[in-house]
Amino acid sequence: MSWKNIRLIFVKELVGTIRDKRTIIAMIIIPLIFYPLLFAGVGYFSKIGSLKSEEANSKIVIHGAEFAPQLVKHLQDSEKIKVFTIGEDYPTKLQNGDIQAVLVIPSDFKYKIEQEEPGKLILKYDATEAKSRIAQKRVNQIIEKYKGEILLQRISRLNLKEEFLTPLILQEENIATAEKMAGSFLAVLLPYLIIILIFAGAMHTAVDITAGEKERGTIATLLVSQVSRLEIVLGKCLAVMLISFTSMVLGLLGLTFAFLLGASIAGGIEGMNFGISINTIFLLFLVLFPLVGLASAVLVMVGIFARNIREASNYITPIYMLTVLLGVISVSQGMELTGKMFLVPILNSSFVFKELLLGKIYWDHILTTFIANMIIAGLALFGATRLFSKEEVLFRS
Amino acid sequence: MIKVEGLTKIFYDKKRGKTAAVNNLKFNCKKGQIFGLLGPNGAGKTTTLRILATMMLPTKGKITVNGCDVVKEASKVRRQIGFLSSETGLYDRFTPRETIRFFGQINGMKDEIIKKRMAEIFYNLDMEDFQDVRVNKLSTGMKQKLSIARSIIHDPSVLILDEPTVGLDIITARTVIEYVQSFRAQGKCIIYSTHIMREAERLCDVIAIIHQGNLIAQGTLEELKKNSSSDELEEIFFELINQGEDLK
Repeated sequence: MSWKNIRLIFVKELVGTIRDKRTIIAMIIIPLIFYPLLFAGVGYFSKIGSLKSEEANSKIVIHGAEFAPQLVKHLQDSEKIKVFTIGEDYPTKLQNGDIQAVLVIPSDFKYKIEQEEPGKLILKYDATEAKSRIAQKRVNQIIEKYKGEILLQRISRLNLKEEFLTPLILQEENIATAEKMAGSFLAVLLPYLIIILIFAGAMHTAVDITAGEKERGTIATLLVSQVSRLEIVLGKCLAVMLISFTSMVLGLLGLTFAFLLGASIAGGIEGMNFGISINTIFLLFLVLFPLVGLASAVLVMVGIFARNIREASNYITPIYMLTVLLGVISVSQGMELTGKMFLVPILNSSFVFKELLLGKIYWDHILTTFIANMIIAGLALFGATRLFSKEEVLFRS
Repeated sequence: MIKVEGLTKIFYDKKRGKTAAVNNLKFNCKKGQIFGLLGPNGAGKTTTLRILATMMLPTKGKITVNGCDVVKEASKVRRQIGFLSSETGLYDRFTPRETIRFFGQINGMKDEIIKKRMAEIFYNLDMEDFQDVRVNKLSTGMKQKLSIARSIIHDPSVLILDEPTVGLDIITARTVIEYVQSFRAQGKCIIYSTHIMREAERLCDVIAIIHQGNLIAQGTLEELKKNSSSDELEEIFFELINQGEDLK
């Protein structure tokens, strides 16, 4: 095996891939330009939308206002609520969005309050409309205030102190540091994103330099040269690894930038500090390396087996779906892996990423994951090399 | 030189079972000789050439290139051959200069030697004007010139050319033929597969006619004429093929 030959194949594949416009679009333009623009746009419009909804007055109709004059007064005194007490066609108006909520006060309300029984109120609103949800919140706040007043009146009649209503005080203290909060936030999504970005990044190149070469008839040119099959496979695999890893890093950078941009436009994130220690980064790489190798080797093997790009894409789709599924399982809350489960590729990496982001370092998990993924990557490389030597695979038409 | 003895290749197909693509072929090609391989589609020409180029393994038989066995010493054989066929495509995103440099390097050549040989080949094949243009922008003729350049950059002593003039305009085809003749003059051993009879007549020193995997005739054009009622290769070809069909 000659490293010089592996390097030559690696450089050739890399140059060919970089010169492909589709690679530039998928690797640079989409993550670094499209994502931030998309998130910034979403953040901007959601902020504009929520500002408009918050600023506007809520128009509400009260049906039976005469049965709770005090409550009606509170509502009328509120700056952001405009009260209407007339009109029978309020259901249509509520549906059309002309009014945002309807408060129905039954005729026995006053009587029930006086009898110290629960007085029933009905609040009608449209949960699918932001403005209506805001009106519901505003009316609720005033009703809560009114409820407090009634309670105070009731306990004063019983000669009880206001503290009677507060038998317990629970003071909650979050001991997590800002870094840990950020880690916990990242641990939910980051492992999934890393896995998806690695596979998505590797797919195009892996197919292009294997099945694509077959389709374009360039593979035979390589096979009659003095480079061995193993050198060809290793060179191609290393190129896919680099492209996949770079795509993942650029994808994450783009998404992080896009997220921060979108979040800062929409109002910012509080209580988090997105700093990851050098140690964690090193360990993340230790788990990333075999995962990138595994993804590249498997995809290269599939690409070599396929007759053409289309067939390769058909084979890769279920592999990608399985990856997405394993990624989704790993981000499920409360899911824990036990010893042997760390032998399952992809799932193991995802869980170790999660642990590392939460600041937990379990060496047995890291090593099992590393070794299991390296072995599978090695087997896929061996399989790819074997396929490259099989006439029936190379000359299938 | 190339020595082929008892070359047989059997393929297995679920529908048809075992089929012999090539059956007990025997021929030699010497230094400074153009050996023409003639046959209709499916005769077994491509399979024979693939085996000679070490891309396929024979089921039976012994094939040597300059004394090296194509099965046991495949790497040594590859160093000595230049292979060109419709299967040996070019990289669209590279220029001719980059392509030749790459193939020179993977054939173990030093950079200075590649540079010198590349300049020589580009001059001889009239490729200097487009040496820095990406392959996807080149015409069919330009691409074929590059394919030839690619197959000879490592100065192989044996050339395996599978229909090298297919799809070329008359001027480029002539350049290719002249270049093949110059290879013979340089003492190279050339296996030339074609279905263009005039080309075979003009170029080949020895002609072998394959039909359904069997070698049905072999000899110089004069020898073939002697055993036939016709003077034209095309007529001789059909006569031999029909005889082959009758024998079945």
